[in-house]
Amino acid sequence: MIALTSAKPKNSMKSAMRKDNLTVWLMLAPTLFLFLVVSVYPFLWIARYMFYDYNGFVEYYIGLDNFRRLLADKLFFKSIIHTLEYSFYKLITIIPLALIVSVLLNSKLKGKNFFRTVFFVPTVISAAVASLVFYFIYSPYNGILNGTLNALQITQAKIDWLGSANLVMLSIIFTAIWGGLGNYMVLFLAGLQSIPDSIYESSRIDGANRLQDFFYITIPMLRPVMKVILMLAITTALKDYQSIMVLTGGGPAGRSQVMFLYVYQLMFGNENAGGAVQIGYGATVGLASSLIIALITVIYLYLSKKMDD
Amino acid sequence: MKTKKIKFKFSWLAAYVFLIILTILMLYPILYVVLGSFKTNQELVMGGARLLPEVFILNNYIEAWELANFARYTLNSIFISSMVMIGILILSSMSGYCFARRDFPLKNFIYGMLIAFMFVNIGSVSLRPLFELSIRFNLHTSLWAVILISIGTAQATNIFLVRGYMNTLPKELDEAAAIDGCSFFGIYYRIILPLLKPVLATIALLSFRGAWNEYILPLVFTINNPDKRPLTVGVISLKNVSDGAAAWNIMFAGSTMSIVPIIILFLLTSRYFMSGMTVGAVKG
Repeated sequence: MIALTSAKPKNSMKSAMRKDNLTVWLMLAPTLFLFLVVSVYPFLWIARYMFYDYNGFVEYYIGLDNFRRLLADKLFFKSIIHTLEYSFYKLITIIPLALIVSVLLNSKLKGKNFFRTVFFVPTVISAAVASLVFYFIYSPYNGILNGTLNALQITQAKIDWLGSANLVMLSIIFTAIWGGLGNYMVLFLAGLQSIPDSIYESSRIDGANRLQDFFYITIPMLRPVMKVILMLAITTALKDYQSIMVLTGGGPAGRSQVMFLYVYQLMFGNENAGGAVQIGYGATVGLASSLIIALITVIYLYLSKKMDD
Repeated sequence: MKTKKIKFKFSWLAAYVFLIILTILMLYPILYVVLGSFKTNQELVMGGARLLPEVFILNNYIEAWELANFARYTLNSIFISSMVMIGILILSSMSGYCFARRDFPLKNFIYGMLIAFMFVNIGSVSLRPLFELSIRFNLHTSLWAVILISIGTAQATNIFLVRGYMNTLPKELDEAAAIDGCSFFGIYYRIILPLLKPVLATIALLSFRGAWNEYILPLVFTINNPDKRPLTVGVISLKNVSDGAAAWNIMFAGSTMSIVPIIILFLLTSRYFMSGMTVGAVKG
């Protein structure tokens, strides 16, 4: 560009640049407009309604009442615990599982492309519809899970997978692992492919076996990728609520209520969050939830940086 | 030597057993719903362990299509997904081009904000303000609010992808075209756009899939407008409306209608899908 413009007389260069600048702004205009509306505007809106009592029709300024309520809200604290519980169990299962699968599928195994494709299929379909399918599977009287367990003579009980306080988290986490495994497999595969073959070849010459390869080469070489994947997995798990909304709506008796599902139910009204539409309070809970996620992310980044030193 | 060979074979066998069990687990729910959609409602409600239908019927689809409004839902899904895809392709390619090839005031600030907001996700929090905004501008009776919000939410990631890909295209191309008298927009339209095809193919697939699978956003915006629902919202809404197991057959057929087209699309283009995932996530 420099070579070109300096060859021209100065005046026409300037006017051409000015015309180009106008074009740039016109081309960026739709993006900037949508960005302001979809991303920035909700922030300003929430900053205002945190201080209001608002049911969708009438609003009252109530100062800091929403924050006082938040500190005493047992349901909110429960939802934090459930979010952490869900994220923790999802992560400690899905990450090692995806790592093992991807290591196997990165080897010279016959049929690896078939397996890769099959394991990725659940991630391409709608998580909401997949949750509906699991809702059928888990159904105590008509579902195929109990039907299969009965037919195999494992148990004759009609287990209420989503209605029992002890089982509901397990059922939800299983659904989440089913839907997410393929994503993490593909991410790990990309990381594995960046490890040069020559390292494995030389370790073979030194007489290392596959297990040693895995622990002394693969894991250390994957660390930078692992950090990114873990960060992605943590933030995704903390924000998940769509699948839970379809499976249980937060039930039974709030046992599977997570932070953003609670926010949604406050914003649009639901018997699991007190029934009425409580937008002001929903905005407050939403802000608190976002801050909790941000805090966990920062702690994670700090720890992963410290581990490097 | 021989024991080593046997040991080696055993570890492969274990790997295959593990992978095959996992394959069954991954495919079972999909087979269950697809095959179940050909069962009678009686058979579905009976439960049991049988995967294949006893009598194979198509009636569920006819019923869903004619009585349960699924023809409408399918059209809505196709409309939303196509529009979101086209919108994202246009916006991300234009903006990615501008960010990659031109310096302008506040460029780094604007780009930084776009990327920052991509990470600062506030989940369900922003649905309410956008819902009220769309009512104020009378967009809530059409699907345009859903489409515009979907584009706005997804654009940052895709601009990032295009910008990254642009950096691999030599700048000499632009310069040569400019010498020949091509304008800034002309270079985009005639030179850059054709060269962006590979990355745009990935973006098209991922954005189509994203919009096709979206649930909560269209749920909120079609709450008072059942005729505008896409498949996801249409089929899941039956769960809450119907009493007990009355409409299982319709829901199975509806779920299959939502799942199968996207799986077929994926099987035809799996390479783009999977590579798109990694570019978007690892580098993003």
